[in-house]
Amino acid sequence: MVALRWTAGLLRRRTARTAGAVLGLALAVGLFASLGVFFAATKSQMTRRAAAGVPIDWQLQLARSADAAAVARTVSATPYVRTALAVGFGDTTGLRVSAGGNVQTTGPGRVLGIPPHYAATFPGEIRVLLGNGIGVLLAQQTAANLHASIGSIVTIGRSGLPPVAVSVDGIIDLPEADSLFQSVGVSATAAPQAPPDDVVLLPSVPWHRFFDPLAAVRPDAVTLQYHIKIARPLPADPAAAFTQSLALAKNLEVRLAGAGLIGNNVAARLDGARSDALYGQLLFLFLGIPGAILAALVTGSVTAAGAVRRRKEQALLRIRGATPQRLIGLAAVEATTVAVAGVGLGLGLAAVAGHLAFGSFRFGASTAEAIGWLGAAAALGAGLAFAAIVLPAWRDARNLTAVAARSEVGRAPKPLWLRLRLDLLLLTAAGLSFWRTSKSGYKVVLAPEGVPTISVSYMSFLAPFFLWTGGALFAWRIATTALVRGRGVLAKALRPVASGLSGVVAASMSRQRLLLARSLTIMALASSFAVSTAVFNSTYSAQARVDAQLTNGADVNVSTAAAAGIDPNVAARLRTVPGVTAVEPLQHRFAYVGNDLQDLYGIDASNIGRAATMSDAYFAGGNARAVLAKLAAIPDGVLVSEETVHDFQLQPGDLIRLRLQSATDHAYHVVPFHYIGVAREFPTAPRDSFLITNMSYVSRATGSAAVPNLLVKAGGSPGNVAAQIRRVLGGTTGITVKDVSHELKATLSALTAIDLAGLTRLELTFAFLLSAAASGLLLGLGLVERRRLFAIASALGARTRQLASFVWSEAAFVTTGGIVIGAATGWGLAYILVKTLTGVFDPPPAHLFVPWNYLGGVATVTIAAVVVAAILGVRATRRPAVEIVRDL
Amino acid sequence: MDEPLVRAVSVARRYGASVDAMRQATFEVHRRDAVALVGPSGSGKSTLLHLIAGLDRPTSGEIAWPALGPVEVLRPQHVGVAFQGPSLLPPLNVVENVALPLLLAGMPEPDATTLASEMIGRFDLDMVGDKLPEELSGGQAQRANVARALVARPALVLADEPTGQQDRASVQRVLDVVIAIVEQTGAALLVATHDPAVAERLRVRWSVSAGELDTGASLWSR
Repeated sequence: MVALRWTAGLLRRRTARTAGAVLGLALAVGLFASLGVFFAATKSQMTRRAAAGVPIDWQLQLARSADAAAVARTVSATPYVRTALAVGFGDTTGLRVSAGGNVQTTGPGRVLGIPPHYAATFPGEIRVLLGNGIGVLLAQQTAANLHASIGSIVTIGRSGLPPVAVSVDGIIDLPEADSLFQSVGVSATAAPQAPPDDVVLLPSVPWHRFFDPLAAVRPDAVTLQYHIKIARPLPADPAAAFTQSLALAKNLEVRLAGAGLIGNNVAARLDGARSDALYGQLLFLFLGIPGAILAALVTGSVTAAGAVRRRKEQALLRIRGATPQRLIGLAAVEATTVAVAGVGLGLGLAAVAGHLAFGSFRFGASTAEAIGWLGAAAALGAGLAFAAIVLPAWRDARNLTAVAARSEVGRAPKPLWLRLRLDLLLLTAAGLSFWRTSKSGYKVVLAPEGVPTISVSYMSFLAPFFLWTGGALFAWRIATTALVRGRGVLAKALRPVASGLSGVVAASMSRQRLLLARSLTIMALASSFAVSTAVFNSTYSAQARVDAQLTNGADVNVSTAAAAGIDPNVAARLRTVPGVTAVEPLQHRFAYVGNDLQDLYGIDASNIGRAATMSDAYFAGGNARAVLAKLAAIPDGVLVSEETVHDFQLQPGDLIRLRLQSATDHAYHVVPFHYIGVAREFPTAPRDSFLITNMSYVSRATGSAAVPNLLVKAGGSPGNVAAQIRRVLGGTTGITVKDVSHELKATLSALTAIDLAGLTRLELTFAFLLSAAASGLLLGLGLVERRRLFAIASALGARTRQLASFVWSEAAFVTTGGIVIGAATGWGLAYILVKTLTGVFDPPPAHLFVPWNYLGGVATVTIAAVVVAAILGVRATRRPAVEIVRDL
Repeated sequence: MDEPLVRAVSVARRYGASVDAMRQATFEVHRRDAVALVGPSGSGKSTLLHLIAGLDRPTSGEIAWPALGPVEVLRPQHVGVAFQGPSLLPPLNVVENVALPLLLAGMPEPDATTLASEMIGRFDLDMVGDKLPEELSGGQAQRANVARALVARPALVLADEPTGQQDRASVQRVLDVVIAIVEQTGAALLVATHDPAVAERLRVRWSVSAGELDTGASLWSR
């Protein structure tokens, strides 16, 4: 009964305090639960995208002694196998084409026998360049090597048997050649095997006719595979999906009892996705946890804003005979009321935020995870409410006398951490931890290929954690020091606001330093959260664009597979297309570095930057302009990868003898280059080894100026410019036009696999709310709780302007200090986060991107919340409440 | 005769629907009046003082401050109030609390601090000038409260049970100081009190009972 009355009284008489606590709690629960939605959305998206990007889930390779028919029966009887097609792999000793008296030959290659509908069953495995994809198909590079086209007769050499001849029906590209020609059963840690240069695809029937006899004489030269699609859906969590796909593959291998081994392509792809998922988890820890802690602190501070009054109420109850148990019981009733309302509101908020940000109302990747997240969010809310309300009541009931509990402003002793300079120690530790992490090369996630377990270097969490906590405590130190030692300076600073009352206002603020330091610290944390999140997310988004540009080459990439390259007139035509601001050619060749075949790109070093982004991060030394200028000045200069420098122990200025294919005799000839620098990344280049050199030198050395790519800089939307180019090139055959936005969606790097756009919207919204709550709510509630103080001042004759000077002075102190310290800490945090999470950035950003508009918006909202709270506070103090005056 | 400081005609104050804290009170307060407001607890003494101070508005009747101006312009130099309850501002020390009315009246801080220090000296509070209100005894806090009401030399001094927490000797000392100051400044003094010893020191006695103010019986001129 007493509890009910107490609750009713709380809701009626302490409405602002209770509502503030509920709101703070709802923010904490909401943010935490929203992150659950983020995880659910991100993980399932990662799995979906990773699995969708694999044309062939499994490649089951039959053992030489295996009974093919029995294997086929076992495979078709396996429940989780959705589709399985038999593909033959035969070795050829070489291919040959005779045309017009010229004979072109190749080295050893592979001949595949594919069943009908193979291309339709495994889309993405075969890309048709010429022809209709049916019949005898020649790989693009092979066709180039043999100078073959549709109708050419290709002779296929067979070891120990006479060659066979086939007529070419089409030219194709094999985008997934690496996995298609993988060595099944070889350890994942073994060096990867390059796919064959020369490949012919035959229909199953002729293939069996040609290669079944070979299998009889050279069984090692022929293998049979089943290409398999497994049943979907896989578990939403990439790690679980990875484990399941491994387990299912092992299950089939066991069923086959040694008759076959599986090359698990889907597991290999999920292997990468699970480390991306771990990065997602890290982003949660780095970006989400501080927000949830901040929301918890806001809740704690909101309830603490009423602590003095609550303590007085408890003191009155004690004087009237309430036992400590009764006091704690009443506090528990208040906490329960706040918890129920806050958790309910928070979960609703999370559901709505999740839907708006990710289009999902789910709280977890699986039902169990959803229950876990909901339970954790509810437990967090309940725990917070009890920690903020019951714990102080319990402490007061145990330790405080009724008289002490009624005191409002004490000369509190310096906290132990302040005396121990814990804040300064933490900031120093943050610097040292960051230095240590940077020395390790920022390796945060360790996910060895093929190994089921992945690990995170949790030591890397220490630097941001120390900076965050150290920054918060430092904000407290600065606030209290300014209020105690800098009282004179503060009084002078407040003169414009408080004029003649500045001294007494400064004195009043100095004595309320705990309250003000708490508000300033929370404000600093809110600002720091907003700044660090916004800067990190902007940098991430900007890098996603850079990554997409890197893959696409530029805003728009116009390319051809034709050996003759793009007609030189096309570039001139493109320059006239509306929206095109620059067009630069990008030459592509292959070059042998020793025995290693690498991609070689020929550029116009002086002008390439006009069409494509040339980030400093692309080059060792971090100065793109200087490196490209050097390349332009040295005609035979070449930029090589770090791996090549290391493998060949190169020194700047060293002569490198590369072998390039000549356009006249199609043979590889030695061409001398000089090593002048290191390129880490380059538009369209692969991620491992490649070479960058001058286009004019390559053209002279190879006798061909053929350019397969034109990089286009778009003045407006790349998508629109690409559409315009397609219209202009309409009739030109064999030309592909791709824009960067297409690439942004398609790239499957760690960077874009994590749906940071949703997380960004979510976090920035919460940062907005938390900043407003931390500023307006705390200031407003602080003023509400000190109504009596203002009523007395008013009764003594203070004018509204004079009362306002108290309010505005506090507001200015808290807001200015909080925003300045918070912005500095936030910037530091963003820097550390970007550096520590280098793994999610590819390439690493050259600098941080600051979203000035958003931050300006947050600052405006924060200041507006403060102004509104202050105006309401001043209005409330203008005429003291009758019940307060009667109490005087 | 000079204009009255306060003129009330049929002033009534009702709280809620049924509590008549003051009924139909008609009176005037002039300079140099020294009035003891006596009556039992809850009779309406504090309500009357709040109405006179302009801190509360009557629900009916009229109250005006002919010699001071409208209620909106009442300032510390016009009315000084010593409240019954704890009313020192918790974050300010004793000197700052006492100096506050002067600062609110626009006096420069050094002058206000000097005058406040002098005033707390007259109430034997020199030793606790830098103490916060919660560090004071009940008697000290009450004396600081009275000192604050007097520091701006107001024309009208209102004190609600100003000696309730003082010992007998202190009561007389406090009254000596208060009376000396109001006599020096020519202010009117209204003191709500239960203490006959306090009431005896003032020339006029008004009695309040169940919201009824009786000023007639002892309305003898000074």
